[in-house]
Amino acid sequence: MSPPASHRRRSQHLRWPLLFVAILAVHSLAVYLFTRGFLLTRTELDLHSSRDDRPPQGDVSAGCSSWPPPAVDRLVIVVLDALRFDFVAPSTFFPEKHPWMDKLPVLQELAANEKTSARIFKALADPPTTSLQRLKALTTGGLPTFIDVGNSFGAPAIVEDNIMHQLVKNGKRVVMMGDDTWIQLYPEHFNKSFPYPSFNVKDLDTVDNGVIEHLLPSLHKNDWDVLIAHFLGVDHAGHIFGVDSTPMIQKLEQYNQILEGVIDTLRSLSNPGGTHENNLLLVMGDHGQTLNGDHGGGTAEEVETSLFAWSPNTPPDAVLSVLDDSSCNADLNGEEVCISTMQQLDFAATISALLGIPFPFGSIGRVNPELYALSTGTWFNQKMGTDACTSQNDLEAWMSRYAEVLCVNCWQVKRYIDQYSATSVIGFPSEDLQHITNLYSRAQANSSASFRTTCSSEAGSQDKLEGKGSVLPQQIDAYTDFLQTFAKLSRSAWTEFDLWSMGIGLLLMILSVIIQACTLIKLNTICQPSDQKSHSSIIPKFSFAFALVVIRAASFLSNSYILAEGRVAHFLLATSCITGVWYSMVEGKFGVENLVFLLLNIFARFGIEIGMSKQLPAPAITKDHSVSAICKIFGVTSCETLLEIFPIISLAFVAYIVLKCLSQAICQRFLKYFALCATMASYVCIAFHWASETTLFSHAGIVQEFGRSLSPRFVYAIGGLSLVISALYRILGPTDHLRMNQRITILSAIMLCSWSPTILILLGRQGPVVALICMTGAWCIIKSQQRHQRESELSVAEPVLVIQWSLLAVCLFYLTGHWCTFDGLRYGAAFIGFDHFHIIRQGLLLSIDTFGVSHILPILSLPFIAMVWYNTTSKDNKLKDVILNNITQVLFMYGLITAIPATLTIICVTIQRRHLMVWGLFAPKYVFDAIGLLLTDLLICLASLYYN
Amino acid sequence: MRAQVSQISAVTAAAAHVLCLAGLAAAHALAGHGALVSNPPLSLRLLVVCEAPVVIAVFSYLRRDRKSCSFIKAAARGLIGLPVGALLNAFGAIVLGAPVGIKYWTVTIYWSLLMSLFTFVPAACVFGASKIDWQNVLSHSIYFSPTDADNYMISAPCHGAVLGAWLGAWPMPLDWERPWQEWPICVTYGAVAGYLVGMTLSLVLIAVHKRRVRAKSD
Repeated sequence: MSPPASHRRRSQHLRWPLLFVAILAVHSLAVYLFTRGFLLTRTELDLHSSRDDRPPQGDVSAGCSSWPPPAVDRLVIVVLDALRFDFVAPSTFFPEKHPWMDKLPVLQELAANEKTSARIFKALADPPTTSLQRLKALTTGGLPTFIDVGNSFGAPAIVEDNIMHQLVKNGKRVVMMGDDTWIQLYPEHFNKSFPYPSFNVKDLDTVDNGVIEHLLPSLHKNDWDVLIAHFLGVDHAGHIFGVDSTPMIQKLEQYNQILEGVIDTLRSLSNPGGTHENNLLLVMGDHGQTLNGDHGGGTAEEVETSLFAWSPNTPPDAVLSVLDDSSCNADLNGEEVCISTMQQLDFAATISALLGIPFPFGSIGRVNPELYALSTGTWFNQKMGTDACTSQNDLEAWMSRYAEVLCVNCWQVKRYIDQYSATSVIGFPSEDLQHITNLYSRAQANSSASFRTTCSSEAGSQDKLEGKGSVLPQQIDAYTDFLQTFAKLSRSAWTEFDLWSMGIGLLLMILSVIIQACTLIKLNTICQPSDQKSHSSIIPKFSFAFALVVIRAASFLSNSYILAEGRVAHFLLATSCITGVWYSMVEGKFGVENLVFLLLNIFARFGIEIGMSKQLPAPAITKDHSVSAICKIFGVTSCETLLEIFPIISLAFVAYIVLKCLSQAICQRFLKYFALCATMASYVCIAFHWASETTLFSHAGIVQEFGRSLSPRFVYAIGGLSLVISALYRILGPTDHLRMNQRITILSAIMLCSWSPTILILLGRQGPVVALICMTGAWCIIKSQQRHQRESELSVAEPVLVIQWSLLAVCLFYLTGHWCTFDGLRYGAAFIGFDHFHIIRQGLLLSIDTFGVSHILPILSLPFIAMVWYNTTSKDNKLKDVILNNITQVLFMYGLITAIPATLTIICVTIQRRHLMVWGLFAPKYVFDAIGLLLTDLLICLASLYYN
Repeated sequence: MRAQVSQISAVTAAAAHVLCLAGLAAAHALAGHGALVSNPPLSLRLLVVCEAPVVIAVFSYLRRDRKSCSFIKAAARGLIGLPVGALLNAFGAIVLGAPVGIKYWTVTIYWSLLMSLFTFVPAACVFGASKIDWQNVLSHSIYFSPTDADNYMISAPCHGAVLGAWLGAWPMPLDWERPWQEWPICVTYGAVAGYLVGMTLSLVLIAVHKRRVRAKSD
């Protein structure tokens, strides 16, 4: 009878790890699908265009063998942040007139009175419509996404090829004034810059006044070719007061005055021979805003911004036939105003063509014909090259010039497509690429024919002129078709969420959570003896635990609660503690661990506050004012020594406790000595490492060097070795003569002691304190579990304690100074013991630091709450079953507790995908939660195998 | 003893609650509309000053062991219970994450005194140091099993105030930037609201209980 029974048990015990593996697989699939749909990625290429780049001669015609010649000498770009389209366009274009419309009349009058030289464009931005991404898009001509895979991880400076880079390389001088984001993006590109801080949203005037101070004087100077003036007032007024507000209207009226001044100055300087003979003024927004002043998403209000172009010199009247006159309307004074539409994507290419610089390598825009035509230079300054065709009229000459520009433009975009497909992580679908390539070769095949016609028109016969007149537009259409098709393709790859993929991922996630919950309930009923008393006491506990999880999960629906996640988790942990105290008071058995846990909560709470204060940009003095206040009492030098020595002393204390626990927990002699020695050696190394970073060893260089780099590596090596030994012990070690309790204790003790020194050294000086909090918390929870078992005489895992365990883990994450954004990673920890960057090594250290104290340690020590401390049955065999069941149940609960908030995060990200903060807050939170979920699942799998 | 206890009729309980409510209303009237937001220390002080004598007097009158304990003695118990309860409440609030900066000290003290009046003082006045009674008050089982009228009268508002204060803390981290999100304004609102709900609930429970007792005796 017995062999089948044991066999059945074994197969049952293998069933659970398999179930955990299945959960991991389902979660991975769900996260993969959702991520594919939600986090759009693009690979940054660090290739740069150069002046000498030439299309291969056989490929394209001679007409477009070099970058276009300059058409504009000087360019003034006035960027008005968050300029809505209806701020600029006359109110007659809209069904209803609102108070904020028609507040920039100077632009409207120019557009109405000087139709051939001034034009209002509706510029369509691509999401994400945040300033940084938009500036990047405007200058690189690409479509920045949330994750631009590139070398600039962490630092905002742009490494991709961009206009600023090309300007500098081609000897153009750039002056910038206003928003300091430009300086972050282009730290060394400006000849002169007047940056002003942009982060204070409540400050409407500092940036603008700074720009006003420098703008007009700079216009008169001769030391620049491109001038950028970035005003922030409208953006900030929108964020604080909304669009329909007096400050907004005041800001717009102020801008009207400034623009009047700029236009008058430019006009006065634009006489032939003057400083601004051949120049162009652009007044543009980087993105729009909603009526509440939000932006970041992809609604029409946010993406529709405007661009106003004006050249002081009037191009010939033929320009009117280039300009689109389909949307014209009378303005307030009855004059006709026409408005064109352009893509912001085309900005970089058009500006490069106008200034005569190489197009940025990654630009995928098209030279906009209307903006290109508005510049006088493109009409008069004709090429005097080999095949000058003298008898053309203005329009034909312009068209042939434009066709050549487009030809170069197409070649450059094709070059980018080829490079990108060759090198990027996720390329384009191959059939689309084939289609694009066909379009390209068709366009270029026509081109040689059309250019030949152009130049044979010297004969000037009427027939040929007519023939050419139809060939050139056809050619331009072919180019345009190619460029627009590619822009559409890249838009779908880089800016549009794949809602299907997201939906399937979300659905899978929800399904898996439901199945997990059902299995847990079933598991619970299997394990429970059908005892009425126990059944009645377990239901309120389950519902309380469930309520805690649901509250925490639901809190992710609001961005404020995500920001305050550490505090929320702590609040819930404290609530559960207070409930525990209340419960024990009602029962009349008040344990000391309840009180200790409450006190621990107070410590944790201050720790979280300190940890989260690092998140806010604040001067260093206010950060640790409490420490500095104490320092004042004791004197600075003694205080510094104290601060240096304190972690080492507390580390000694931690080491003492750990050694004591180890010597009690492990009863096998060899293993015990190994664990004790390894732990002792690691702690000595950690202490040595910290001491060598202080001034203690400053005179002994070699000792310091050893402590700084070798001792951390030694710690990592010991950790790895103990990990191997614990695995070996698990596989080869004796199982039969040990009691199950002892076995589990030994296994988890060596597991923990192989991880903890590494995590401790990565945490840095705060480590010992965190370790003490960890151990105290664990002690309190285990004590409660013991008491619970003693009272109820039931050996089941208590759900509330598992929740407390997981909430404590979340608190520890925030307590150790992490938070869920990429600048919340403690990059310094990755370089403990190493000076040079290696992606796998440093990545591993960084992830151990990030998830060590919040995922690895809590999950690996979960068996402690599953242990049966008070043996009610005499049979060891039955006890073993009970313990294993308990462990499975606890691991299962923990997995569910992690999965529910992660699911809610995914739901929240789906709902808020067009929210202002989606890329700043929700998406990083999603990334952290998804990684945390998968890591939890993986660790649970391993733990269920290891402790089986 | 049981006969004596059941002397507390629904009407007495309602009258006691109305008196407590009158204390709150008086404080509110004295402070003026919206004073809790504009000047929290003043209005909290007014609340404590108005409510304290009412609560102590009412519940000392309703003291349980009338023969061995005079009204004065019960009132003294209440007066001692006031700071003790305040200390417990403040401790609980700090555990849950109430700010502890110097500028919050006065409001925290007033708030915890008020919470003590809602939770600790009535029980101190009525029960003194009787352990079993205290456990009865704390227990949630009173809602499921019939018990004495004064148990209902004390526990339901007490539980209500605590739960209300706990719920009242929820809006604090939101980024609405309203003045009432400051500690302890919304928590006080929550506590008062919970207290009122608890009073109503206790009256309902007492009424149901009396009817059941009457039905049983019939």
